[in-house]
Amino acid sequence: MDEYAIGVLTSVGLLSFVATSAYLLLIAGELSFGQQAFFGVGAYAAGIATAMLGLPLFLGLLIAMACGAAVAALVGLPALRLRGLYFAMATLAAAEMLRILFELFHWQVEVGGEVVGPDGTQGFRGIRWVFERGVEPLGFLALVWGMLAVVLVVIHLLERTRLGSAVRALGEDPELAGTLGIDVLRLKLAVVAAAGALAALGGALFAHHNTYIEPRNFDIMLGVHTLAYALIGGLGTVVGPLLGVALDLGLLEGTRVFQGYRMIVFGGLVALLLIWRPRGLLDERVVHWLRTRR
Amino acid sequence: MAPVVDFLQNCLDGLSAGAAYALLAVGFTLIFGVLRRANLSYGPAIMLGAYAATWLFLQTGAGLLVLFAVAVLATVLAGTYVERLCFAPHRKGAAAAAMVASFAIWMQLEELATLLLPRHLYAFPALYEGGPLTFGPFFVRVESLLILLAAVAVCVAGWKVLYATRFGIAVRAVIDDPRAAELSGIDVGAVSLRIFAVASAIGGATGFLIVASHEQVTPMLGMWSTLKGMLAMMLGGLGSLPGAIAGGLALGLIEAHSQWYFGPQFRDFIAYLLLFVLLAARPPWMNTRSAY
Repeated sequence: MDEYAIGVLTSVGLLSFVATSAYLLLIAGELSFGQQAFFGVGAYAAGIATAMLGLPLFLGLLIAMACGAAVAALVGLPALRLRGLYFAMATLAAAEMLRILFELFHWQVEVGGEVVGPDGTQGFRGIRWVFERGVEPLGFLALVWGMLAVVLVVIHLLERTRLGSAVRALGEDPELAGTLGIDVLRLKLAVVAAAGALAALGGALFAHHNTYIEPRNFDIMLGVHTLAYALIGGLGTVVGPLLGVALDLGLLEGTRVFQGYRMIVFGGLVALLLIWRPRGLLDERVVHWLRTRR
Repeated sequence: MAPVVDFLQNCLDGLSAGAAYALLAVGFTLIFGVLRRANLSYGPAIMLGAYAATWLFLQTGAGLLVLFAVAVLATVLAGTYVERLCFAPHRKGAAAAAMVASFAIWMQLEELATLLLPRHLYAFPALYEGGPLTFGPFFVRVESLLILLAAVAVCVAGWKVLYATRFGIAVRAVIDDPRAAELSGIDVGAVSLRIFAVASAIGGATGFLIVASHEQVTPMLGMWSTLKGMLAMMLGGLGSLPGAIAGGLALGLIEAHSQWYFGPQFRDFIAYLLLFVLLAARPPWMNTRSAY
């Protein structure tokens, strides 16, 4: 595989983590404009763990997920009763606050004669764990996609349990879900925290892929893109978000046919697609049809 | 004495900035009131209008009145396009789809604008050539007074239209209950389209006033307008004209004071923090029921 293809495929994998976290909230009936911030929390946490504290990548990823879940729960707790645009705006406000906190975050230590650590708007350089251990781009690609596969399989299996049905019920009609005996607020908090952990895992891998992160990486544009990916791909199955990311990055950036007009083409396609399929390409109906055909 | 002077001057600066936010919030709140949807493309449509005017100015050196007309016209065209593509097809349900579609068109409008004028910064003719008005130790820019005046005028005119015309009755009926309005013979689709056009005209005028007051246009205008407008709309409570004006002025005041006392990075932080706390605490003027 050439370097360019590896790069695109790695990006597709990394973005799929955030898109899947947006998907989790969408099937629970909420729009989040804030998943990019938890992606950022994961990136910073994992970077600090490996580059500053000298921990192995595996531990860094775990710490990132824990931080992502904790911060998401902290943000989610006061916003649990909000719905629709109000929930979306609360997540946006929280995400922008976190981004500004990244800009104010200065904490640097000397590691092997070199100063590393978050330096406010200057960003955080030298997250080189992967690079220093001589992991080839292809190896990192395998790591990203391996972890993504695990995540997708776990979510897919969970969706077939009572818990998965409860999340869908919450998304369909929270009042009805409540009368069916589902603890709506607790379930929503769990989904928010899980989505936060998932976005943070993507961020942790992103930080190690890039070796350099800055607060601007985690602005609202990333958030709205991931929301779009999840919705284009479809809300019927957990592979939907991956399809959404692949469509944008693979088809448009990968082919480079529409250079200079990419956003005009992509934007128009998305708007038209959503008229035809408001819940995405692989929506519930298509997934049901695919399942019952056998 | 000096702290008091600073405080009052900050208030003046805050109200000056807030007037522009208030105008942006009026457009958002009109659309939100009728469609119960947030139009993310509102800012980018305004940006396209301002870019069209700037382009014409660079080509022909046209006067301010012509540029104003072009900005309004281009924004109305862009707004109508957004309504047809993103909101008319999703009138029933699918609020998430409408919001994401309006984001997709945001990308489109922004790329269109930057294809028209690719540089990062363009000069725009000044709204007013003279210096600021000074009285005692205080000063106010004439441009800011004009924007404030425009905000009040739009609010009063909007009030008149809503409460004294047939169109206004139809709009209020749709706001109250779209299905009941439809059953009593109101063409809900036509009302939505017209409100979109009116809001876009206000947006185009706002964009013109903002760039002529700053004497420059940058590609940040789209995102800036959407964020500030939504923030001001939320602070004042959704779907209310006086609320939009109050929210815009409040946002300006909060930003001016927090910038002065805590520095520029905390300016935005405090505005977002306040919004978050208000959303979580749900004061009576923010009726936080399920709504997009």
